[in-house]
Amino acid sequence: MLARCPSCRSTFETERTGPQECPSCGKPLVVPDAPVPSTTQSSFSSTDEAPEGQGTPWERRADLGLWRGWWETVVQGLFEPGRLFRSARLDRGAAQTGFALVTVSVPWFIGQMLDRFLVRPWTQHLIEKLGGAGPFAPLLQKIAAAGNDNSPRATLLVAMLTPILVLIGLYVNAAVTHVAALVLGQAKRGFAATFAACAYASAPLLLTAVPGCGAPVGFIWTAVLTGVGLKETHRIAPGGAAAAVLAPYALLCCAACVLMVLGGFAMRGVP
Amino acid sequence: MKCVVRAGPPSAHALGLAAAGLSLLVAAAVLPLDSPPLSLFACPFRAATSLPCLACGCTHAFAAVARLRLADALMASPLGALVALACAAHAAWTALRLCGLRYAPKGFAVTAGVRLGAAAVLAGNWLFLVLHGAP
Repeated sequence: MLARCPSCRSTFETERTGPQECPSCGKPLVVPDAPVPSTTQSSFSSTDEAPEGQGTPWERRADLGLWRGWWETVVQGLFEPGRLFRSARLDRGAAQTGFALVTVSVPWFIGQMLDRFLVRPWTQHLIEKLGGAGPFAPLLQKIAAAGNDNSPRATLLVAMLTPILVLIGLYVNAAVTHVAALVLGQAKRGFAATFAACAYASAPLLLTAVPGCGAPVGFIWTAVLTGVGLKETHRIAPGGAAAAVLAPYALLCCAACVLMVLGGFAMRGVP
Repeated sequence: MKCVVRAGPPSAHALGLAAAGLSLLVAAAVLPLDSPPLSLFACPFRAATSLPCLACGCTHAFAAVARLRLADALMASPLGALVALACAAHAAWTALRLCGLRYAPKGFAVTAGVRLGAAAVLAGNWLFLVLHGAP
């Protein structure tokens, strides 16, 4: 943890709480067990609190209002991510889960419906063409077959499953990213910090409401924001944050690159 | 050395991880492996290179653990089987904590040795999949 000497005001790293000496000036000080919010009577000043110390707009939605809290969080996430992640509080896991669920589930469901009823004939035709030959033919044919059901039952099922899938995806993504950060020695502040980064980094997934290019753009933007988030919430270097975010993609999803390359070759063969 | 410490009720993240893990196990138990949506999880890396990726076999491992066929799970993917068992153990422990158990597993320091060990486990799992052939 980080502590600040009340005599010389220098900040230093310490592994334990209780009486000890300042490594800079040598004067005795006491590091308490819990961070003390007030600095007037304390010899300890925790930098674990965000600079703003108030939480993100979504975490302050009780004061700002639900809509304003959500909208300001999304805008900050998209255009001022550093500020958003710096202000995130690590003890607001439930609120962060709620933000990600609302921000991803609703647009994703809208995007699926638009895709299903408006552009599905075109994408279906493309998938069937691509599925005609090549190494991915069986998979693409299965995808084409699975996408044919436009019944009310299927729509209801999608509506019910979307939030569950978002919750699972959010936690699986946070867990995989955190394990990568742990293995790379970049997880400085625990799972809550990684989770906050992943939850607020989901803001660009609003774009999943746009059929076609919305989802790929949203996912790439989300990966970038997750890196920014890890850097701010774990207080690590940009390189370490980028490595922690990209390692799972490199190890588990390098297939995506191969898929894109082969997809390009396959497209050349489409009449 | 104590493996557990006294703790309060489970945190929001403990509940979320338990819910996600349990959902994956239930989905693996209920959904058939050879029809959508699980059959759509074919590995494009293996289709392109004939080599398994690190996560190959995990769907089969989860399905086997959910059906209590541990040997099949280990053969499908040792790492996937361990993750599935960890999901089941975490969900069960979290349920017990919700019912009043006031103990939680003790955390451990992630030293350089632990990180190297984790990397070795990943590499070993991948070698096993290459030599054994993922399902």
